[in-house]
Amino acid sequence: MITVENLTKRYGSTTAVQDVSFTVQPGSITGFLGPNGAGKSTTLRMLTGLTPPTSGTATIAGKRYADLPNPGRVVGVMLDAAAQHPGRTGRETLLLNASLLGVPKTRADEMLEAVGLGHAAKRRVGQYSLGMRQRLGIAAALLGDPAVLILDEPANGMDPEGIRWMRGLLQDFAVRGGTVILSSHLLGEVQATVDRLVVIGGGRIVANGSLDELLAGTGTLVRGLDPIGLNEALTAAGLNLEPQHDGSLRVDATAEQVGRAAAAAGQILIELRQSDGAGLEDLFFQLTTTPVAAAA
Amino acid sequence: MTTVTEDVPTVAPAKHRAEVATALPPARGQSFLKLVAIELRKSVNTRSGRVLIAAILLIALAALTWQITHLAQGPAGVDGFLGAASTGVMLLLPVIGVMAMTSEWTQRTALTTFTLSPRRVRVQLAKFVSAVVLSAVVMTGVVVLALASTALAGAVTDHTTSYAGLGGQLAGAYLTVALNVVMGAAFGALIPQTAVAILAYFIAPTAWSLAGPALFKDNANWLDVFGALGRIAERDLHGMGAETLTAVGVWIVLPTIVGLWASSRREVK
Repeated sequence: MITVENLTKRYGSTTAVQDVSFTVQPGSITGFLGPNGAGKSTTLRMLTGLTPPTSGTATIAGKRYADLPNPGRVVGVMLDAAAQHPGRTGRETLLLNASLLGVPKTRADEMLEAVGLGHAAKRRVGQYSLGMRQRLGIAAALLGDPAVLILDEPANGMDPEGIRWMRGLLQDFAVRGGTVILSSHLLGEVQATVDRLVVIGGGRIVANGSLDELLAGTGTLVRGLDPIGLNEALTAAGLNLEPQHDGSLRVDATAEQVGRAAAAAGQILIELRQSDGAGLEDLFFQLTTTPVAAAA
Repeated sequence: MTTVTEDVPTVAPAKHRAEVATALPPARGQSFLKLVAIELRKSVNTRSGRVLIAAILLIALAALTWQITHLAQGPAGVDGFLGAASTGVMLLLPVIGVMAMTSEWTQRTALTTFTLSPRRVRVQLAKFVSAVVLSAVVMTGVVVLALASTALAGAVTDHTTSYAGLGGQLAGAYLTVALNVVMGAAFGALIPQTAVAILAYFIAPTAWSLAGPALFKDNANWLDVFGALGRIAERDLHGMGAETLTAVGVWIVLPTIVGLWASSRREVK
């Protein structure tokens, strides 16, 4: 379990992270979402003891990161897949870590196979593609059989097949009681993988909750044979709506309410469903752009 | 440069926390000895690390070859061979110290290293020890080459060979190597860019040894670290014990302390 309490980081007069608090429970995958420069990486670096916070605390399984006797056996961390020595082979990279973590050499080979790098084990990391380095980073994070995973932009540079593979891996890890936090600015990637979301914008937490909670209330999407007539009917029924550029309407109401109002006015519906699609994207931009604009 | 296609096979996602995981030995802390062993391994398991060591040995070999083919009149002493072999080596060995400290930052592996071992001062001290051990090993290689050259000179030329004063000379050489490497490592800890740290290591004390005497006359000796190291190598302080200690303190001990402090607080990007 990860607990972050009132973390703040200032660089001179610039505040990179302000009063950030959240928890990540075992058995769940939390997406740490925000645009570039929002403070995601700074928060994760404070969580892993690489950057001293200006104020606030972060603990993993109740301990500050620096107080973990052998952190790799408790937390698997991948903050930057590029931070591997290009002159070492993938296998040598893992063997070094295995020695430090006190796990047998065979574990390194198992992890290379598990992330699909068995064929490239003896190649130097400098020849790896970014996607392969991400896999190596994930293998390194899993090496000590940790209960917690902290991954910064793990999908970066991965092909769609790789992203799908990682999604399965992380969901499996969480099902076995693992705690996962992964950051991303790729909305679609996060939406399909995580259970919970912590959204950061301008250094502050702007949303924190389960994916369902955060996506709820985005309303119903409806399309009628006669868009203008449908618009008038729904407005007359007292429903709030917002026309979309493709001619459909997004209504702040349940599908039943929309259906009844349309039926009462004799409007023919050709599409009626919960508004998803760009739901998270809308939320994302709405949540992350407002505080920045307000602060400017 | 070769491009590697990402022809990775799809893998069943259930393997990473398999039953084998429970068979892992219990988690234990990281002993200082283990940290030193890992740092030693890191400094020889990359091509750049191996090239540096090979270059040092090759330079010694070249110097020894020249020495054998240009023997002066009289007996061929081991001191002459050792001196010839060490000159270039003494210049390059401190680079091992510098690189032990800087390569993590230039290659960005500091991120991984300090995530796995968050108590950074221990890791940095392990790097100091590992750099000293590695350079002592390399120096031993050079000594062996020098001894072999002396024997060779005795066998193939008509010079008589002498091994007089070998013990004292070796003691001085190893001590100087250790101090030089610690000084290099201290500069590396202080300045995390390899090239800048190496330049600072060579230029700052040299600049002082050139400018100091002009400005401060004999008082410049108090901060002349190369002079101090030379006296240590000769195992004769020429009555300048206090000056020697001061120079070592200012150029080696002080940068070590400040370097450890700075690198333990430096933000890892």
